[in-house]
Amino acid sequence: MSQELAGLTVGLIGAGNIAHLHVGAWKALGARVVVHSVEGAGELADHYGLEVSASLDTCLADAEFVDVVTPSVTHKEVTLAAIKAGRNVICEKPLTLTAADSHEVIAAADAAGVRVYPAHVVRYFPAYVAARQAVRDGRIGDVAVARFFRQASSPAGGGWYRDVARSGGVIMDLMVHDLDQARWLCGDVRTVYAVQNPPTVEGQSPVNVAAHVTLTHESGAISHCRATWAAAGTTFQSGFDVAGSAGVLKYASAADSGYAEELQDGAPAGDLLIPANTLGESPYLTQLREFAVALRGGPEPRVQAADGAAAVDLAEAARASMETGRVIDMKDFDPTGAAA
Amino acid sequence: MSLKIALASFAHTHAASYASLLGGMPDAEVLSADPDGASAPDAGPRGADFAAQLGIPYVDSYDELFAWGPDAVVVTSENALHRELVERAAAAGAHVLCEKPLATEVADGEAMIAACEAAGAILMVAYPVRFSPPYLRLRASVEAGLLGDVFAVLGTNNGKIPYAARQWFTDAKLAGGGALVDHTVHCADLIDGLTGGASPKRVYAAANRVLHQDKGVDVETGGLVTINYDNGLLATIDCSWSVPDNGPTWGGVYLQVTGTNGSVEIEPFLPHVSGTDPSGEAYLPIHDNFDVSMLATFLGAVRESGRANAGTTPAVVPQPDGAVGLRTLRIVDAARRSALSGQPVDL
Repeated sequence: MSQELAGLTVGLIGAGNIAHLHVGAWKALGARVVVHSVEGAGELADHYGLEVSASLDTCLADAEFVDVVTPSVTHKEVTLAAIKAGRNVICEKPLTLTAADSHEVIAAADAAGVRVYPAHVVRYFPAYVAARQAVRDGRIGDVAVARFFRQASSPAGGGWYRDVARSGGVIMDLMVHDLDQARWLCGDVRTVYAVQNPPTVEGQSPVNVAAHVTLTHESGAISHCRATWAAAGTTFQSGFDVAGSAGVLKYASAADSGYAEELQDGAPAGDLLIPANTLGESPYLTQLREFAVALRGGPEPRVQAADGAAAVDLAEAARASMETGRVIDMKDFDPTGAAA
Repeated sequence: MSLKIALASFAHTHAASYASLLGGMPDAEVLSADPDGASAPDAGPRGADFAAQLGIPYVDSYDELFAWGPDAVVVTSENALHRELVERAAAAGAHVLCEKPLATEVADGEAMIAACEAAGAILMVAYPVRFSPPYLRLRASVEAGLLGDVFAVLGTNNGKIPYAARQWFTDAKLAGGGALVDHTVHCADLIDGLTGGASPKRVYAAANRVLHQDKGVDVETGGLVTINYDNGLLATIDCSWSVPDNGPTWGGVYLQVTGTNGSVEIEPFLPHVSGTDPSGEAYLPIHDNFDVSMLATFLGAVRESGRANAGTTPAVVPQPDGAVGLRTLRIVDAARRSALSGQPVDL
């Protein structure tokens, strides 16, 4: 354990898919983890050697700060409880499921003097970091057209993902990463246009669904985010193509990782929903270390609560665009959630 | 029986490929004309010099070209001048292969289809990527249901700006626009072929001019076009001229087709040997020349149909036909209007 994180106790709230990656990172950082979850805390604790906290209150009392990895629909409630207890919060994306809730969380955190860091982990994936640095260094000139894609084996065949009221649907759940990337790389967003096929009907997401969102940016750049909940068993993939006035940058996770395998008997399954099998230092570890160090008084991390809220704003503008069939001007878009 | 094939104009860069392929066919006679070539601001040769370079016969005027009595005319003029030449060809009783896009305005495209229909002439649009082996395999897989229900497509047709060889590509009047006009239609055609001619219902386009500002270009150089089709399909096409001037190859076409049972990606121009040479990255294409199969399809249909007969339908209507050209032109036209208004356009 690094000296700056000595004696750290993290309160982990939730025990689902992403919890495994976070626990791995916290263990690698030498932290003590106290887990509380409505479901699955015991199994997670047994597997990784964690302590279980029977209630949210005891978990909050025990922890130096909390790491919220619950289903999206509970992010707001859990985060507000942590803020009320005076605990700093790391919260999985999306920060909340509505722009209004994100802004409410930020206001509560500010009032309580508590920090909230949304886990937009793609900002810690080396390819995306390298591309942003190259753009900032001027290596491809002014960004003209940027495309981002992300596809996963659909989680909407069952469980809470299918219920858009609980997951937010494919844009809020999956594309929110690339909406954040588009902002990170191309700057503030001027307009949002979104389409999805098949459409969401009566609050139920189709199992297999694609969303395409086009953004125009204040910088003059245009960008496109494509998110797909693909056929069950589809390997997780992401990537980008960025064209600038002086060059281009391209990355595809399937082609550019430096490792490819073609194994038969006993082959491990590939990533389906979450890019867990990254090579080199886990981006989840890089992210959680940066957050923890910041919460211990180190430099502020590369992603802030306002970035998480901005990504949710964009996802909500996308929803408004789909509902109205119109382009949403972010200048007129009410960040509390109502479409202009 | 030898076919008489006229090549009308060398304005489009593809004319060179068609000329060399047609010129090498034992059962075809070729005659060319490029009367506007002399006044074009292009650095390279046009007109008689270019014909000599290509090794094909040449006449100075379109009057002489059409008076020759061609069985078929290949129109490779500037986009805005397609209509006049196609109508002349139809009036002369010739079948037509028209370079893409069909026209710059929907009304022109409709008039061209009407003229060819009235003359009993074939009107085929030069979309060669349709004939590429990866696309044929993709289409067979879609038709066999291997992808399940297809619900989304991403297409890209990114390339170098066609600026140095032929300057009219960046002339809004002659080309009809910039990258939106030049590079949306290939992917739109491939999607049209996969769906059996689904019609676009709503089109949104964002475009900008960030790329190639150093060349003083005033048409759009970057664009993203999103299309909702009447069968529900969703597609986005990146039509940007975003391959840098020093890129190892001109560009390419990419299509990702997603269905409920999986997805297929194709890049018909990708097959190549890579490496380095003294100027940097080497790129040796090894894919087929798709023009060969496209021209064979066109000329086969011309041969089987015989001379165009007014009031009759050609015996063989090769695809992609004028109707495909018009559907894809409607997408371009809607994209242009959307890029101007900033809102989607309903068709």
